[in-house]
Amino acid sequence: MQVLLFGMIAEKAGADRIQVDASSLDQLRTRLVERVEGLATMSYAIAVDRRVVQQDMPFTGTEEIAVLPPFAGG
Amino acid sequence: MSEVNAHRKRDIFVEGAIAPSFISDSIAKHATRHDIGAHEIFLGQVRADMIGGRSVEAIEYTAYADMANEQMTAIREEAFARWPQMTCLHVHHSLGVIKAGELCFFVFASATHRQQAREAVAYVTDEVKKRLPIFGKEIFAEGGHVWKTNS
Repeated sequence: MQVLLFGMIAEKAGADRIQVDASSLDQLRTRLVERVEGLATMSYAIAVDRRVVQQDMPFTGTEEIAVLPPFAGG
Repeated sequence: MSEVNAHRKRDIFVEGAIAPSFISDSIAKHATRHDIGAHEIFLGQVRADMIGGRSVEAIEYTAYADMANEQMTAIREEAFARWPQMTCLHVHHSLGVIKAGELCFFVFASATHRQQAREAVAYVTDEVKKRLPIFGKEIFAEGGHVWKTNS
């Protein structure tokens, strides 16, 4: 599935979207840490279909997934 | 969906700084609304912070716009439910490179009386900073950058 990256996480990964195979949120977290260097020590949230989700959930593969560093609006 | 409940798709983002003339035009547009007795405005301006001996000359804003606009719709609904005498609410946020001294954030509420407008602007300003996925790269005059984080 395609994962959208933003801000300092996109900068670290050198891309604003990456392809990751994951069937659940927990699996995605594990894969992301492997794929994006330094992510394990960074503060970030994961949005599924434009909502921040903390608890593990299964993916159907059609979700819009985004990795969000700390917000800085205003 | 009934006409009353239908939501207009709104986009709060503007490319570049918010011009002071845009703000005065926004105020002028409300002259025909004779039920309004008070306007309250918050303006965010890019500050030339000193960080580790370097000075911020600009902030480059990016956003997850679809999620940000959805969150803004929710915040707007919360505000209208809480302050029913608020007649209108306008929110704009910049994207791209905004120089120190330029405006990047505009919250504008109008109501029959000042208390409702004041409280709504304070609430909406805080919630936007907390809940909208907007990211800021603080660019130093001396070269290099750091990523801004709202506390």
